[in-house]
Amino acid sequence: MNFKAKLGGALLAAVLSTTALHGAFAADDTIKIGVLHSLSGTMAISETTLKDVMLMLVDQQNKKGGVLGKKLEAVVVDPASDWPLFAEKARQLVSQDKVAAVFGCWTSSSRKSVLPVFEELNSILFYPVQYEGEESSRNIFYTGAAPNQQAIPAVDYLAKEEGVKRWVLAGTDYVYPQTTNKILKAYLMSKGVAESDIMINYTPFGHSDWQTIVSDIKKFGSAGKKTAVVSTINGDANVPFYKELGNQGIKAEDIPVVAFSVGEEELAGLDTKPLVGHLAAWNYFQSVDADVNAEFIKEWKTFTKNEKRVTNDPMEAAYIGFNAWVKAVEAAGTTDTDKVLDSIIGVSVPNLSGGTSTVMPNHHITKPVLIGEIQADGQFEIVQETPAVVGDEWSDYLPDSKNLISDWRKPMSCGNFNVASGKCGGKGS
Amino acid sequence: MTRKIAFRLLQSLCILLCLTCSFSAPSLAQSGSDPKPLIDALAKADFSETEVLLGKLAATGDTRLVPALEAFNAGDLYFRKADSLVFIGEAAGSSYELIDPLTGASAGQAPKNAVTKIKINNTLRRAIRSALGGLTLLSPDRSVRLQAADALLRSPSPENLDLVETALAKESDAEVKARMEEARAVSLLPSDRSLDEKRAAIQTIKSLGGRNALGILNTVAGTIDPSLKPDLDAAVSAIQSEQQLWDMAQNVWYGLSLGSVLLLAGIGLAITFGVMGIINMAHGEMVMLGAYSTFVVQDVIRDHMPSLFNWSLAIALPVAFLVTGAVGFVIERGIIRFLYGRPLETLLATWGVSLILQQTIRSIFGPTNQEVGNPSWMSGSFPVGGMTITWNRMWIIVFSLTIFFALLALMKKSSYGLSMRAVTQNRRMASSMGIKTPWVDALTFALGSGIAGIAGVALSQIDNVSPNLGQSYIIDSFMVVVFGGVGNLWGTLVGALSLGVLNKFLEPSVGAVLGKILVLVLIILFIQKRPRGLFALKGRAVEA
Amino acid sequence: MSGFVFRALEGRIVIALAIILGVAAVVPALNLLTPPDSTFHIPTYAMSLMGKYLCYALLALALDLVWGYCGILSLGHGAFFALGGYAMGMYLMRQIGPRGVYGNPVLPDFMVFLNYKELPWFWHGFDWFAFAMLMVLVVPGLLAFIFGWFAFRSRVNGVYLSIITQAMTYALLLAFFRNDMGFGGNNGLTDFKDILGFSVQADGTRAVLFAVSAIMLALCLLLASAIVRSKFGKVLVGVRDAESRVRFLGFRVENIKLFTFVVSAMMAGIAGALFVPQVGIINPGEFAPANSIEVVVWTAVGGRGTLIGPIIGALLVNAGKSFFTGAFPEIWLFALGGLFIAVTLFLPRGIVGAIQHGYKARQALKAAAEAEKGRGSAETVAQAAQAAE
Repeated sequence: MNFKAKLGGALLAAVLSTTALHGAFAADDTIKIGVLHSLSGTMAISETTLKDVMLMLVDQQNKKGGVLGKKLEAVVVDPASDWPLFAEKARQLVSQDKVAAVFGCWTSSSRKSVLPVFEELNSILFYPVQYEGEESSRNIFYTGAAPNQQAIPAVDYLAKEEGVKRWVLAGTDYVYPQTTNKILKAYLMSKGVAESDIMINYTPFGHSDWQTIVSDIKKFGSAGKKTAVVSTINGDANVPFYKELGNQGIKAEDIPVVAFSVGEEELAGLDTKPLVGHLAAWNYFQSVDADVNAEFIKEWKTFTKNEKRVTNDPMEAAYIGFNAWVKAVEAAGTTDTDKVLDSIIGVSVPNLSGGTSTVMPNHHITKPVLIGEIQADGQFEIVQETPAVVGDEWSDYLPDSKNLISDWRKPMSCGNFNVASGKCGGKGS
Repeated sequence: MTRKIAFRLLQSLCILLCLTCSFSAPSLAQSGSDPKPLIDALAKADFSETEVLLGKLAATGDTRLVPALEAFNAGDLYFRKADSLVFIGEAAGSSYELIDPLTGASAGQAPKNAVTKIKINNTLRRAIRSALGGLTLLSPDRSVRLQAADALLRSPSPENLDLVETALAKESDAEVKARMEEARAVSLLPSDRSLDEKRAAIQTIKSLGGRNALGILNTVAGTIDPSLKPDLDAAVSAIQSEQQLWDMAQNVWYGLSLGSVLLLAGIGLAITFGVMGIINMAHGEMVMLGAYSTFVVQDVIRDHMPSLFNWSLAIALPVAFLVTGAVGFVIERGIIRFLYGRPLETLLATWGVSLILQQTIRSIFGPTNQEVGNPSWMSGSFPVGGMTITWNRMWIIVFSLTIFFALLALMKKSSYGLSMRAVTQNRRMASSMGIKTPWVDALTFALGSGIAGIAGVALSQIDNVSPNLGQSYIIDSFMVVVFGGVGNLWGTLVGALSLGVLNKFLEPSVGAVLGKILVLVLIILFIQKRPRGLFALKGRAVEA
Repeated sequence: MSGFVFRALEGRIVIALAIILGVAAVVPALNLLTPPDSTFHIPTYAMSLMGKYLCYALLALALDLVWGYCGILSLGHGAFFALGGYAMGMYLMRQIGPRGVYGNPVLPDFMVFLNYKELPWFWHGFDWFAFAMLMVLVVPGLLAFIFGWFAFRSRVNGVYLSIITQAMTYALLLAFFRNDMGFGGNNGLTDFKDILGFSVQADGTRAVLFAVSAIMLALCLLLASAIVRSKFGKVLVGVRDAESRVRFLGFRVENIKLFTFVVSAMMAGIAGALFVPQVGIINPGEFAPANSIEVVVWTAVGGRGTLIGPIIGALLVNAGKSFFTGAFPEIWLFALGGLFIAVTLFLPRGIVGAIQHGYKARQALKAAAEAEKGRGSAETVAQAAQAAE
């Protein structure tokens, strides 16, 4: 029976050596950064692109001479759309691979899963996707849009430009749509919209049969008031949703749909001719008319060797986050987390819409809000652009967060300071 | 908090700025005869000024404007930066062919950066629709007039009233006339015409029926003369009660349509799992391969023979069948044939196969969605009474039933079907009777895979084409086959359709998420009642 | 009772227990007591990773009890695991107290921003550790009892049973995704602070959690071994191989199955409860049918019906997954998929099963050869050769 003991021993050795291996390669002449995006599983569809963007940015930076005279090296891992695996991989990147910062995550669940890891190991995560807000961590930078940088301006646009009086808030049943819709509902009601003029509808992930819901929207829209749909439907479910909209003949002129999760990548899987005029709100569109954007698109197409590849908003957020980090590291003269955290606040870097984005003390950034209409070629035509807006981490429209602010500069250094009680709640006290 | 206040201030400042801009806009020349200055004014107008201009353009009644407005609607209207003159632009390589908006004469070419596109939004699209409707109401072409009347029907406005009535007086075609009557009625309601005329209009709209009519009546409900209120309310409730019946019918239709999708997803599995007993976790990936075959076929067609696009699905069907059938054949010969009699182990092996297939597709095509277009005969919808039937759903129902009956015929009437049934019922006996069992096994698995592949062609029309496509159908298809009864094709049909209808009847009352959960719970409970599904096989095979 | 335990201590189980308990002692010691630059030092990262594998191993062991010995292929064991995890997660959430971002002393953060006014009824009691631990056993056990009571009584078996267990975990997945359920929706429960007053992030706590995972695995292995080697265990195997015959012999098959199913679900619940504080999150993703299928795969890779095999399978596959997702992020699915196919084709009995079988066959051949010498009977050799196939 001896072989079983041997087997067990060998197994243990194998586990140990796999984990030890990673540490052994740490070289001193490069600065490592982690790329934590799912390359397989359900989220690969969105996240793989961001991994490619990060590789391109690292490549470009190295051509410019790297950072602090050292080359950057991207450590790519695959958390496989599995949330506990995100935490495991984050821990591996920080404590085994000794990366200086991590760029990654897409879903809120993955961010929530790695947040304690980054706080415990005191490292930095740049999170490039629009999200529901209600969070501000010392170790995370949120370069995507908070609800006030996307949802509220979009609703304002519809109310003002299209005279919308009746609202369908349709979303996938998870935290981002739930919170965004709560904020929007409170916001709309504060603007005098009656509760009976708001319909909220949730569907499961990957919902593909939209017949009933689309016809419900039609029904709701026949009450004699101008109706619009605010869609927080998650990426994958959008294609069948829009196909059904197009086929049931809901034209943008009659019931416009404004979406917060539909960008150029999602439209790439669709024939957009029946959808012309439906809207999306983002901080960036590929169609932005700016030299820096034209340059970025050209480099992206060259890097991916694919003329058809499109650019989208989370890519811009990744671009801003990466450049802000580079600038902060160069200002601090080191990649040490505490020093970078100090030097990054107030850093301004060009964004792709021709302006600049500044990292604010609440670890969110300033960005303009663009409203675009879908065109027949799968691109967006920008119909409105606001000046740069500061990301608001704690929404003013939720009763429990309206008194909270976040400021990570000394002496406050607090992610959830309560202005009513004058105390830093929870953490950092 | 100060930051927030500062931001608010900034916001209001912007709004103020916008307002002043629109006040200082140049006063627009009123010209009834020549619309050219009006068109050229579009170059410098913002959205709200453009809306005013469109109203004026419509009021000229000049039918020469139709091409320009159509181009505007399609986003093909440009102005030349040098002189701010407006042209219709047609892309010609890296430059635009400029066309005079009124005469249609060519005005030479201009490089792309010399012209600027005149922007358009939804409000303007509505205004254009209404303007075009008014301008084309007198067209000599019957179908154009019908379209125009439709457009006016969708954008009621008292300003259209005179136009419609003029057109109505000249109209001879009965159908167009009826449509125009309706268009007149909807525009008359918000106008200042007499009460009697309005009462008649309400009756016309009531007989029109449907959601649109309801919307129109509800719009005016707040402002209409109180003496007409009873008529209006009666019309509204009449339409509503009629609509309720149609809603029921619509729901059944949705259920059948969902059922047909489930049938498509499950039917290949009914062969590989139901008949052959292989717990085929790679079934979803076969569907995905079928969808990707469609994508490749369409891609080739787009590049080389765009005229064939409407035939792309017909071409994709045999391609998908052969591709997935071949993959299935290889899987059967390479892996599954070693696992007969060990059904649970087929689960593991096919799970491995599904991971490999997914990653292969991801490596070749990338992880993002691919665009599979709908041919024109699968786009749009048509009304049946008070319900809307979309063409793609209808064809999918027809298609799934066709496949089902073709498969049934193959199994029951052909000699191949006979040997297949013989092999699955008693392998050794069949072998002794001279049937080449390995060959039959391979063909059967290939057939099941091929059918999953052609299901993928149909599903590509309504769902994402991404490497995850198969994963989203695999559980549903197992539920359908098990619910219907393993080994029975009829069970799969009845199972799929009834699950579809059940789901759609639960959805409106409890929501999509809870509806799906309830269906799963009901399946679990149903299996307790009939442990072998709806149509259980009887006899000895049961214990095997 | 002592006989019950004693019978469990067959040779290889003793060795396995010794190894597991040795690991339980050595790994935390190496983590805590050696300096970080020592060659013997085990970093915290590696320890919590191994702790996670041990939880998976326990889950695979639980599955083996029902699949390997009772013939019930459950494609929903992930559900019991996740329920145990949620019970633990709820305890950990309640321990955060007023340290959440909104500073609400009663409501967890996600309830605050979703406008809950008070704690839902099913959250009460979870602030007591003992109650939460009871629930770790009771909730999965109860679900298994209800589910099994219906299913076994109706004599649902084979693939039908597998598919409805899959439907069960899928329905739970959808249910837990709903924010209205009060379990944090898609984000799940996370950002834990303390367990029994000790910080979950401290190295000491992690070491203890690791040791507890290993000890629980050892205890459950002992229990499972005791069950399968008892008289009851013989009946169990009988049910697996010829259910009708056992029934005709007068046994209440459904009760036998039900008992095993419930015990197994409770083990899975324990695994989930230990998993959560070590990875720091529990969310509906754990209910995904694919996760449950993976557990089946671990069990099959290690060897079903061997108790030790599933443990080895879970450790091997997960270590491989950790390694490949880091080393070859683009192609690791090929490796994983290929492994499953290779194991089913070439090691149908799993790793341990194959070794065991090879060993037995060698023994049999040897015995036959000796018998040959003595009696020259060709028949025994033929029999032995058949066994060796």
